[in-house]
Amino acid sequence: MATLSKLASLSRSDQKVLPASRSVKARDDRLRFLPWLFLAPALVIYSVVVVYPMVYSGYLSLFRWDGISPTKVFVGFENYITLFTKNDVFWIALKNNAVWLVIALFLPTSMGLGFALLLNSRFRGSHIFRSVFYFPAVLSLAVVGLIWTWIYHPDLGLLNQMLRAVGLKALTRNWLSDPQIALYPVIIAATWNAVGLPMLLYLAGLQTIPQELHEAAKVEGAGPIQRFVYVTFPLLRETTLIVLAITAINALKAYDIVYAMTNGGPANRTQLLSTWMYFLTYNYNQTGLGTAIAVILFSLTMIFAVPYIRFMTRKT
Amino acid sequence: MNGALAKPANSLTKSIKVAVFYAALAVAALIWFTPVITLIITALKDAGDFAINGAFSLPKSIRWENFSEAWETGVKNYFWNSVIVTSVKVPVGIVLVSMAAFALTHMHFKWADRVFTYILIGLIVPIQMTLVPLTLLMNALNLIDTLPGLIILYIGFGVPFGVMVMRGFFRTIPTAIIEAARIDGCSWFRIFYRIALPLALPAVVSLCILDGVATWNEFILAQIFLRSDENRTLPLGLVQFYTQFSTQYNQLAAAVLIAVVPIVLVFLFFQRYFVAGMGGAVK
Repeated sequence: MATLSKLASLSRSDQKVLPASRSVKARDDRLRFLPWLFLAPALVIYSVVVVYPMVYSGYLSLFRWDGISPTKVFVGFENYITLFTKNDVFWIALKNNAVWLVIALFLPTSMGLGFALLLNSRFRGSHIFRSVFYFPAVLSLAVVGLIWTWIYHPDLGLLNQMLRAVGLKALTRNWLSDPQIALYPVIIAATWNAVGLPMLLYLAGLQTIPQELHEAAKVEGAGPIQRFVYVTFPLLRETTLIVLAITAINALKAYDIVYAMTNGGPANRTQLLSTWMYFLTYNYNQTGLGTAIAVILFSLTMIFAVPYIRFMTRKT
Repeated sequence: MNGALAKPANSLTKSIKVAVFYAALAVAALIWFTPVITLIITALKDAGDFAINGAFSLPKSIRWENFSEAWETGVKNYFWNSVIVTSVKVPVGIVLVSMAAFALTHMHFKWADRVFTYILIGLIVPIQMTLVPLTLLMNALNLIDTLPGLIILYIGFGVPFGVMVMRGFFRTIPTAIIEAARIDGCSWFRIFYRIALPLALPAVVSLCILDGVATWNEFILAQIFLRSDENRTLPLGLVQFYTQFSTQYNQLAAAVLIAVVPIVLVFLFFQRYFVAGMGGAVK
């Protein structure tokens, strides 16, 4: 009875809604500028600080300029041509970015998935392990760089000490000063920090998979590996796409950790496009070349970002 | 009979499996945490101990002075700069992005999708793409080497992520609630701060934490736009500290720990919000 009267009152109020909402709509029409008012503070500061500089960088990359003098010389695509044909370090940086990107797409992503699979089921202490494995992700890359620089220290560092302790002295080396390999210790350090995010995203993705599917597969006689290949992984497709996109974008943003660990050295062997852009612009006053590198880095990022943005703005 | 016999055997193999599982996880966790453990041990050693035994041994005696010395040698200054920047940037940023996200979700805004796409660009643009024009702009406004200048940049760069998280949450608020308030004659501003924002409190807390950590850790903008030692924030100051005192590892480690402790506390107390916030980012 009570529910009935509630229903009745609801439907009564429904009737009232119709004319009222019409007047609301009329009022909204008068206030069409209001959303813009809500958006204005964020949009203005974002446009001034991010969008305008971005566009202006593209424009500046067409000039020969030292960043200080009042005259800029328009040179068209000369800066780009110079980079690709005369700038050896640019090629080193481009190659390093490619190596970094490929490793980043495999290593932190698969480790994140592995940890997530291990820690998805709730067992005693699972949240402690989650915290431990996620923790490096909250540290600043400058701090991560410093910590790992000590680990790689040739005499006092943990890595060489451990190698000596287990009789592998032949493998010890000056990790960050060896031009042949210096990039890889830096990537390992970055990986330590980069695993947390994929893990978190995969944990969230795993939560959305209904338990019944696993039960059904179990009943059909599927082992754990089969269940992963045929049930879990296909259902994580969307998560995997997001993880790959974000990891790739982040990998191309790498800067602080290289700055903290090697500063591009030895002999520019660990330069990335981001660090080389900094050197050219702020140390060598080659602003034209620097902005051209920034544009190239931006274009590379767009390869991964366009599908990602499409996905984020999809209609739901 | 048969079943009764099989049962204990089963539970035995099961508990062995559980033990192996835990042992494997514990070993993995220990290896994973080695850099942090090394850092802590180093920060507690005296310089001689470190020089002789390196990082890979327990400290002979605990030396707390490393912390006070690191604090007095400059970390104090960097620390308070980071506190100022973070505590101004985060609240101001949250207000701006919440208002924007509200306009994009509940205000019948025709341009919502296009504006959101425009804002998302900022999420992927490499910061290098903005540095040179920003240097010119900050120079013209006399904001180079000032904390307010840096805060303005942080607020601008925080807009895309913040709008994305808040928009993701506002979308889950039923339109009916907003419409009901409209019919009752509530103004949009009142709806925003009396209804939408309180409902979005979990998202606001998540964003505060993610944004706070990101601001605390930011390096490149600070590096480009802060020039004098007295203005440096922590990450920048630590790298500087390292290049200046690169042999005093124990003090350096103490300095790094001081920088990390606030993050650890936030992480321990608000852990679930990290997950919630990132969930919002994917939705």
